[in-house]
Amino acid sequence: MAAVEKRRLAVAPAANFIDSSRPSVSGAAATTESEEDFLQQLGVTKMLRAALLKVLEARPEEPISFLAHYFENMGLSTPANSGAGEPPGQLLLQQQRLGRALWHLRLAHHSQRTAFNNNVGVAYECLSASGRKKKPGLDGRTYSELLKRICRDGEAPEEVVAPLLRKIQCRDHEAVPLDVFRTGMLTCFVLLEFVGRAGALYQLLEDPMLAVADRRMSQAVLDTLEGVLQASSGASAPTHYLEAGSRLGPDSLALAMDRALVARRPSSPMTREEFLEKAAALFIAKVKPVG
Amino acid sequence: MMLSPERLALPDYEYLAQRHVLTYMEDAVCQLLENKEDVSQYGIARFFTEYFNSVCQGTHILFREFSFIQATPHNRASFLRAFWRCFRTVGKNGDLLTMKEYHCLLQLLCPDFPLELTQKAARIVLMDDAMDCLMSFSDFLLAFQIQFYYSEFLESVAAIYQDLLSGKNPNTVIVPTSSSGQHRQRPNLGEVSILEGVEASLFYQRLESLCDRHKYSCPPPALVKEVLSNVQRLTFYGFLVALSKHRGISQALGALPDKADLMHDPAMDEELDRL
Repeated sequence: MAAVEKRRLAVAPAANFIDSSRPSVSGAAATTESEEDFLQQLGVTKMLRAALLKVLEARPEEPISFLAHYFENMGLSTPANSGAGEPPGQLLLQQQRLGRALWHLRLAHHSQRTAFNNNVGVAYECLSASGRKKKPGLDGRTYSELLKRICRDGEAPEEVVAPLLRKIQCRDHEAVPLDVFRTGMLTCFVLLEFVGRAGALYQLLEDPMLAVADRRMSQAVLDTLEGVLQASSGASAPTHYLEAGSRLGPDSLALAMDRALVARRPSSPMTREEFLEKAAALFIAKVKPVG
Repeated sequence: MMLSPERLALPDYEYLAQRHVLTYMEDAVCQLLENKEDVSQYGIARFFTEYFNSVCQGTHILFREFSFIQATPHNRASFLRAFWRCFRTVGKNGDLLTMKEYHCLLQLLCPDFPLELTQKAARIVLMDDAMDCLMSFSDFLLAFQIQFYYSEFLESVAAIYQDLLSGKNPNTVIVPTSSSGQHRQRPNLGEVSILEGVEASLFYQRLESLCDRHKYSCPPPALVKEVLSNVQRLTFYGFLVALSKHRGISQALGALPDKADLMHDPAMDEELDRL
C-alpha cells in the first residue's frame, strides 16, 4: 500500500511528461484506509512488486502479455482448496511440473545470459523436486519429454528436430546433471530460433504462386549457410552459430543465388519442410552428442 | 521472441514507460478495488490474469471513462477497433449519419466521450463546412481515427499552420488575390489577402521538427512527407483529409483494416444468409 502509493505519486508527475494528456487514471486521489488494508491483507502489493521485478529482469517485447501469462501461471500454482480432497495423481503432478518448468524457461530470451541461466536453474530444481513416489533429481525420461514439449510449442516440425533430440537425449533412467540440462536447453532454444530464421529465409525464396522455392536457389542458400557455419567451427557455444548465420552477408548470398539462376536448367522445387530439415541438419551437425 | 537490443539497454523506468506498464498496473489495482466484493482471496491472480488478457485483446476499454481510453496509444487503437467492430453494419447498410448520431454511437462505448472530439473529426470529413451534413461510416471512421489517435499532434499542427498563415514566418509570401470564398481560418486583413493555405515544403519542415521533439504519437514522418510532396500549397483541413485517406498511415497505426475491408463483416453475412 505504501509502495502502491509511492508508485502512484512517483508515476503521476512523470506520466504528465510522457502521457501528456493523462490527468489521472483513477478518479480518486489516494486510497482510503480500508482499501489499503484490503490490498495488504490479500498481498496485492507484494504480488505486484514481484511481478514488476520479473518484468524488469526478463524485459519482454510485450510486457502486458507477459504479465497476463505470469498471473495465469501463478493462479495455476495456487492450490484450489487448501488440503481438501485427494492429492493429485502422479501424472498430473508431472504435467504440472513440466508446465511450471517450461514457464520458467520462457521468461527470458536465451541471449540474456544471466537471466536465462537463473531460470534454467529454477526449472531444474522444479523438475528435480522429490514427490510421493519420486526420488529427487532429474531423470532422462522427464528431460526428453521436456525437450519434445519445447520443440512442439516452438512449432518446429518433428522431422526437423528429431536428429537433435537423438543427439542430446539421455537414457530414461539416467540422472541428468545441471550442466547437461543447461546446455541442452540452450541448444534447443537456439535451434528453434535458427529454424525460425531459416523459415523466414525460405519465405524470401518462395514463389508466392507455387508455394515452393527453386531447388537450385535453395541449395545455393544452404551451401552458403554451411560455409558460414564451417568458418566459425572454432566456437563451441551454440549461439555463435546463430550469429554466424545472421552474418550471412547479402553479397555472398546474392552471388550464390545469381550463379544458381545463371545456370538456367529446368529445376525441381524444394519444399519448405525439406529446406528446414536441411538447414537444421547443418546446425545439428555441430552439436556435441551427450554421453 | 525476437531480440531487439535497444529495449534491453534502456534504463528500467524508460522501458516500463514505453509500454505504459505502470499505467496498466495502476489501473488493474483500481479495478480490483472497485470490484473488491467480487474478488476472493485466491481470485486475485485470476483477476489480474483476466485484466491483462483483456488489455492484450483490446477489450479493456469498453465502457470505460474517456480519461482511461485516451491514456495510451494501445488504448486508443483498441477503442478505434472496438468502434469499428461494433458499428460496421452501419456502413454495410449504406446509412449516412450526422455528427450527432455518430457521437451517440461513441457514447454507447464511452459514456463521457467529449462532443468536441467528434466535432473535430466531422470537420475533417466536411472540410469545416455545413456541420450538420450526413457522412458515410468509412469517411467518418477514417477521419475520426486520425483525430482521436493523433489528437495532440493535430493540435500542434494547427498552431504551426496558424503561425505560417499569419506570416510569422519571414518566408511567407503575401500577395493580393481575387479568390472568393475566404477560408474561415484566414485572419481578416482587409484589402491584402493571403494565398490560400500554406506552402507545403515549409509546412513539412516545421512538422518534421515537431515529430522529432515530441514523445507522443506522430504519424510516420516519411508518410507525412509523402502526403505533402504531391502539392505546392495546402490548407489545414486539406492536410487532415489527406492524412485520413492515406492507406499507409492507417496501416502503420494498425487499428483498422484497409478501407476496402471496413465493411467486411463475415459473421453478419452468415446471419443474413440464414434469413
